[in-house]
This record gives sequence, C-alpha cells and structure tokens, in this order.
Amino acid sequence: MAEIATICPYCGCGCGLYLHVANSRVVGTAPMRAHPVSRGRLCLKGWHAHELADSPDRLTRPLVRRGDELQEASWEEAVSEVVRGLQGVIERAGPQAVGVLGSARCSNEDNYLLVRFARAVVGTQNIDSGLAAYSLPEQIAAVSDARIADLDDADLIFLVGAEPGEEEPAVGAHIYRALQRGAKLVTASVRRHALARLAALHLPLKPGAEAAALGSLLYELVVERKLAGDADVTDLTAALADLKPAGAEGKTGLAAALVSGAADLWQAAEKVVVVFSSALAASVEGARAVSAMGAFRALGAGPRVAVLGLLGRCNLRGSWDMGVRRGFLPGAPAGDLAAEGRLKAAWGGDFASGEGLPAWEILDQCQALYVMGDDPSRNLPDWAARRARLEQVKFLVVQDLFLSPLAELAHVVLPAASFAEKDGTVTNLEGRVQLVRAAVKAPGEAREDWRIIAELSRAFGKPVSPQSAADVFAEISQAVPAYAGLSHHSLQAAGGAEIGRDGAADALAGAISALRAAEDGAQAAEQFPLLLVADPTLGTWAEEVSVSHLPVAGREFTVTGKDYPDGMLVLNPADGRKNDLRPGRPVEVASAHGAGRMQVKFSPEVPEGIAVTPYHHAARHRIMNIVAEVETGRPVFAPTPVSVGAGK
Amino acid sequence: MNAYFLPRDRVDELVGRLLRAAEVIAPKRVETGDVFYSPVSSPGEVAWDYKTAVEPLKRFLLPQQETVLRFSTGEKLRVEPVLEEKDRIFLAVRNCDVTGVNVLDAMFGGEIEDPYYMARRRRATFISLACLEADEQCFCVCGDAGPFLKNGYDQQWTPLAEGMLIEVGSDKGQALADAHQDLLSPAEPDQVAEKLQLAKRAEETFGEFRSYIAAAMRRLTLAETPDEVWERLADHCVECGGCTFLCPTCSCFTVTDRLEGDGGVRERHWDACLYNCYAREASGHNPRAEHSQRLRARFFHKLSHQWAQRNGRHACVGCGRCVVGCQAWAHMSAATEAIRRG
Ligand code: SF4
Repeated sequence: MAEIATICPYCGCGCGLYLHVANSRVVGTAPMRAHPVSRGRLCLKGWHAHELADSPDRLTRPLVRRGDELQEASWEEAVSEVVRGLQGVIERAGPQAVGVLGSARCSNEDNYLLVRFARAVVGTQNIDSGLAAYSLPEQIAAVSDARIADLDDADLIFLVGAEPGEEEPAVGAHIYRALQRGAKLVTASVRRHALARLAALHLPLKPGAEAAALGSLLYELVVERKLAGDADVTDLTAALADLKPAGAEGKTGLAAALVSGAADLWQAAEKVVVVFSSALAASVEGARAVSAMGAFRALGAGPRVAVLGLLGRCNLRGSWDMGVRRGFLPGAPAGDLAAEGRLKAAWGGDFASGEGLPAWEILDQCQALYVMGDDPSRNLPDWAARRARLEQVKFLVVQDLFLSPLAELAHVVLPAASFAEKDGTVTNLEGRVQLVRAAVKAPGEAREDWRIIAELSRAFGKPVSPQSAADVFAEISQAVPAYAGLSHHSLQAAGGAEIGRDGAADALAGAISALRAAEDGAQAAEQFPLLLVADPTLGTWAEEVSVSHLPVAGREFTVTGKDYPDGMLVLNPADGRKNDLRPGRPVEVASAHGAGRMQVKFSPEVPEGIAVTPYHHAARHRIMNIVAEVETGRPVFAPTPVSVGAGK
Repeated sequence: MNAYFLPRDRVDELVGRLLRAAEVIAPKRVETGDVFYSPVSSPGEVAWDYKTAVEPLKRFLLPQQETVLRFSTGEKLRVEPVLEEKDRIFLAVRNCDVTGVNVLDAMFGGEIEDPYYMARRRRATFISLACLEADEQCFCVCGDAGPFLKNGYDQQWTPLAEGMLIEVGSDKGQALADAHQDLLSPAEPDQVAEKLQLAKRAEETFGEFRSYIAAAMRRLTLAETPDEVWERLADHCVECGGCTFLCPTCSCFTVTDRLEGDGGVRERHWDACLYNCYAREASGHNPRAEHSQRLRARFFHKLSHQWAQRNGRHACVGCGRCVVGCQAWAHMSAATEAIRRG
C-alpha cells in the first residue's frame, strides 16, 4: 500500500489528501494533517475522491457519432474526426465560429494548453469558463485579498451569502473552530442555514436587495460610526443617503436595530474577515454587491479587514489565471501588449488576441463547440432553450470523465484522465498553487486533458513543444507573471505556494458607486404570493457528473434527483401548510414568465414568503425572470414572484 | 504473563527477523511529515518517535474498498469468495488502536463471523508501543484504552532508557517471544518499575480534550438526552463522515456489484451511518431522515450500555482522530460534553 499525496478535485478549498494505492488501483482516501488548509479534515466529497478514479462508469475509449449513435473509435479516428469537423466550420464560417469552454475541474496545465489551442491553433478568441454566469472573475478578483488562514485569528467573521458547509466545507471548518475559540459570527443571507443559527447576529437578506443591505451597513459604519478614516465622505454620504438604516428597511429588509447591532460587533473587533459566497455573486445585483465588498476593506478606521471570496470549484481560480475567462489572456487582460509579446514568443507567432464572447453567447452563437471537462447545462439560466440550440450546433466535441448529458449530444467524445491519473497543478480559491500527482494509470485509453490538446494541436499542424505536465507548467511560469519562479519541483511540499492576489479595488468611492443605483427588489404580489430565489449553494453538487458516478458517495448526491425529479422547491413549513402542500409532492409553480412542476420540501431555514430552489433546478425551467446584468451582460435569475398550486 | 527486556542495540535485529517472517506494518513517516501505519521493508523505516498515525489500523482488516467475491453467470452461476490471507505483524502501533481492533472483533467475530475480516484478523499479530507523551487530540485515558494497557495486545513494548520492555499479552505474543529468546532477557524488577514511572508521567501529558464517557453513557442508556441537544449538535455537523472513517471502531459498510462481461465482482466499501441515505430504504422511506436522528443513533451505538454489553466495552478508545478530522464541531469530545450538559 502506498500513500500518494495530492489535492482534492472537488471544491475551491484545495484540501490535501492521500490516495491509497494497492495493486495499481486507487483503493482509498485519507486526510492530510500536514496540509495548511485542511489540517487532517475532508468533506463528504473529499473522503470519496478515490471513487472518482475507480468508477465503473468512466469513459475508456473515444466515441464518434455515426448517424444517431456514438460509437467507439480509435484515437486516430477520433482526432482526425475532430480536425475534420472543426476545419469544416472554420472554412465555412471562420475561426470565430468555434467556441471553446475550459474547466474548473481541470488543471492549470490543461486549461493553459486549451487556451493556446483556441487562440493560436484554431484562431478563435471565444474561450470562456462554463461557470461564467454565476462567478464574477473581475469583481471577485478585485475585492478578495484574504487567505483562508486569516479566519484563524479573526475575532469577527462576517459571512455574506450562504454557508460554506455545503459549498466550501474546509472554509466552514475554519469558521467552526473560530467560534470555539470565541470569535463572533455575523451572517447575512436569505436562508437561515446552520452557521446562521450559531451566529451572534443574523441579518435576513431580502432577495434582490443584497447590495442595498450591504450599502445600509456601510452607511452605518462610514457615516454614523465614522470609520472612513481620513477619506472625504461627502459624496459617499449623499450616494448612500437613501440607505440610511433608519428608514431604509423597506428597501433593504433590515431593521435599523439589526444594522446597528452588526456595527457594534464590527467596532468591537480587532480583525474582521468578510467572507462571501457564490450565492452573492449569482444574485441579481451580484456584480454590484461583490464590488461593494471592497468598501469594507477600504475603511480607514476600525478593525483590520480582509475579504475572502469563495469559489465553489477546484480550479476555478487557476482556470481564470490561465485565460479561461472572457477578455483575458493567460495572466493579463486582452489588449495588454506586454502579455501579447510574451505569448507570441511562446506560441510561435500571431494568435487571436481579442476579448471574445462570454460563455452564454458562445453557446448561443458558435457553430462548433469544444468543451473540456464541463457541462454548462447546470450553470446557465434557461438551459432548456440553450440545449435546443445546442442540438443545432454543427460540431460539438466534449472531453470528459463520464458521458455527461452534454457529451450525449456530442459528435466526438474524448475520454479524459482524472485527477488521480495525471500530474499537474491547481490553484485554490485563495491563490494557493498545489501539485496534483498521478497515483495510477488512466482506465482504458483515457488520456490527460493537456495531452489530448497537445495531440490535437499536432494534428492541426501546429505542434506544441511541452512533453510533460511539468514542461507545460514551465511555459506557464514564463507566460503568467503570478506563476513566475514556480515549478512542479518547487511545489512539492504540502500546501504548495501562495501567489499574489490582484485585489486592488480598495477605493471606498469606487465600491460605493457600485451601490449607488441599488434598486428595489421585486415584491411578491397577490397573484404570486411567494418570491422564488435561485440559490447556487443549495444542492450544489447534486447530479453533477463528477460526484453522481461515485459508487458510494454518488448515492448521497443522486438522491436529490430521486426525491425531487422535477426540481426542488424549498418553503417555510408555514407557507406549505397555508397552501395545503405536502413534502415530496409535485406542485405547479407559476410566474408571469412561465410555469413548471417541482417537488416541495419544507425547511424552517427559508423565511415565510420566500421559496428557494437550487440554481441548476431553476436553470432547467422557464419559471424565473431572467435579466441581463447591466455591468456584465450575463443572464441572471431575478427573484421572481410565483404562485404554488397543487400539482396534478 | 511474562515480561522481557530487549536491549536497544538489538531492536533492529529483532525487527529484521520479523520482516523476514511476515509483512510488517509499522508507523512510517511520509514526505509531508504525516505518519501512516504502512508496510515497511527495513527496520530504519519505522518512525519510533511518532506520536499518532493519521489513520487507525482498521484499513488493514476492513479496507475502505475491497473485493469480497467474484461471480460469473455463464451456463452455471459460480461464486468464489476472495479472502486475503497472509501473516502480518503490526509493530509499534498505539494501544488505543489495538483496543479499537478488539472492539471491531466483537462486531466481525461474534455470533455471525465475517469471513473476510476474520481471514485477516486470524493471521495478525499486534505489538503495541506504549505512549510516553499524549498528542494534542488524545483522550485515551477517558476511553480506557491507553496510553498503557494491561491486556488486549499480543505484546506491549515500552521504550525504556536502555531498551524495550516487552510484555506478553497472548499466546501469539508468547510464541513470538519464544522464537527470539536469544535476543531477550527476562525483565528485571527495576525495569518494570521504570515502566510504571513512565506510565504515570504519560498520564500527566494529556491536553485540553476530555470525554465525559461515563456520564454520557448513563444519559444515553436512559434516553435522557433531549432532542434539542441532537438538533444543536446537527448544526455543528456537516455530515462529512470523517469521524466514522477515522474511528478505529466504526464498522458501517455498504456493498456494490460491479458487472464485467457475464460476471463481475462484489465489493464492500466503508459507509457512514451519518449519511442521509445510509438507512434509506428502496421505497424512499428513511427511518433516520433527520440529521439529528442520525447523530443520536451514532452516539447511542458508540456509548450506550446496551451496545457496551454486546461489545464487551463502549466503543470510544479516545484516539482523538474525530477531533482532528471533524469538519465542524461534533466529535466525541464535543458530543459527550453536550450530552452531559443536556
Ligand atoms: S472541502 Fe473542498 S477541497 Fe476539501 S475535501 Fe471537501 S470538496 Fe475537497
């Protein structure tokens, strides 16, 4: 039995773990005490990471569509099919007709080579992350400067959005331990989740009014408590005037006493860590709300403040760094001439250097799609319409571990190696670059993602030089300034290396201006008495292919789909009784925008008058109001008044 | 039972002989600095100075994932059990962990024997190394499982200033001592006295974690714990399952079949009673649908007199691994504190 030290492939915490290997098979997982983040702990997913490598459902051979059927093929056939398909589209419609989606599940090496493939081999700048609609790279990177270990000496933790217990359990573990040593916790969220029940103070957020609520607290801190330091706050006072806690309750949903209670705890603290989750990023004014987070850091007086943005997927942060992010090249924004020069040298000539389209437009517009390690079906509003559109896509290539719902539509499916079968690096939510190590060989003919991309580049007549993941990383360390000086060799120790954060937006005024236009949230009305909210931190992993195929742990995730086959609608028990509903039963949910069927769950976590559904269940239906966010253009779910009637 | 002395400069010689006789599992430091019980191939690999290992011994007797049988459904159904049979010596393992194996024996070696577990168990020999200093998370003194034991081991070794004191606790342990008499001498009274001194000093090194096991046993047995205690504990638990996997005595498993051609294999995997779907029935009915009910069931199994009677003792050995591994704050020490306060 050997213990191979590596990194958990699931959420953005980047926990250290060991894979137990016996007879060339991964047979178990153990936690890593020596790891600076996880310190001997793992969550449900991490404890079952070995099952990912060992799942009997893994793809082991390339598949090529022949007629209506996906049939097994050799790598040679599959690769020439991909070249033929992509080149056909390029010849007819130009390289920009090809869209590429990278993956937060794949390594930096995989993503970097994919970006190089898209921009320098195919010649398209349309490359983005499949998670783009509910993560906000610009805003999160700009405000987030904390490390997870900052929680360990904080005396106040201000947790905005949902709890990390579901999305980033390792961060949750640091919060639980902080509570044990006497730190105070203030929570602000729609659901009164487990940590909210343990908080010194809970601020119940009104859906859609998240930015306004944060503005109200800022007003209290800046104007009433004078914590702006030397900054001139005249403009700011004016900008936030209508969020003054006394009188803003209608707008923010927060009683003035609650805001003042939170400010008291703030003032009593020496070090505050503000933690916000993807529930905030995905909210209807997510871009504004996240930008406003920078204002807490910019307060010139009062406690020291650090801000930690949670990212729900393993290498989301690293994939952004590699350029799987609209408008970004590896390590720099598109248009950065120095970066272009660097990349031209590394990539051997000109490449498509423009900003490109965001993921949702790529899916809507591109004629050919190349998707690595992702299934955006869950992560974009109105998936049903998009899926219909995908069926029209001329050429779709998916490279993944399992036959995902997206892969079922593909023309070519390429079997990829899992984290347990490849070397590489991933970058966690706080910017910790860590080494993932191959413990066993990939099943059948599956190959590392980066190697597949390298092979395709060669088949396109533009071979890349790296021969190993370490070689790819060496190129990354040249191309991406934040990774300069790092190598697979230098990352050997538990915990890897921490890279700098971009976090620079700590100008109070800038952050405040984000709040200036905070709007009134939607109101439930007589015909539609409940306000429906899509929550990306609820049932986050349910039905995701990377966990649903785990022989044991998969059971815990697929059960949501068994109990709530049409989607889960969580209501306060009082609302349930009022409408004569029974848990588990189907109901018709209707709004001004559409209707659909879901199954009901009762939970006292959800306040009366509100209904919550997992983001990806909302995505399956056309019930909610989908609006384009002003700042980003991304489609977001607005809280939507609905009625709930007995199902048929 | 007999006691012997093994001079310091002969320890490696004895370990070398053990290595030639059987697979030796001993504490081994991996590159991160963490220590695992793992097969060693030379005496130099044994991390004698370790405090505790990341995992208990359970994995060697009840693997996280194991093939228990192969079957083929061709013309005739054929079923062939897969038993792992080899001699193994567990060397320098902690007394809490040896006690954990004894609790597992009650589960797998009782009225209905588990052949897979017992095939490994019968050929295992346990040589413990008594702790001179507790680790941060340890509370074996509360769990009646260390740092020194009176029995339950095959041999118990204590590092004295000049060598090892070897106490024999079973026929297997005696046979092993007999086979290597040329390296050993009978223990002198002052060597036994030195051990007692070390044992006393070791008890003074325990830190902040305590477990009120007696009080918790009483309240659990009499069902005196109000629901609110379990609901509150549920808010301190994220259902990672870590406490059960790291526990030397937790034994829940599940079984899956993996089909290959016209046959396949049946596999057994660790499972956790804390998981939502562990007790869920095929109909969808879940007898322990509430998280708080699952916590209650777990601690009842660990600490009630009903179960202690069946197993010969309660099922907490105080190794503290649940304290290290808890993703929130619902480990044994926190739970018994909550139960005691009610
Ligand atoms: S908290 Fe995240 S990184 Fe850690 S074990 Fe769980 S999924 Fe893996």
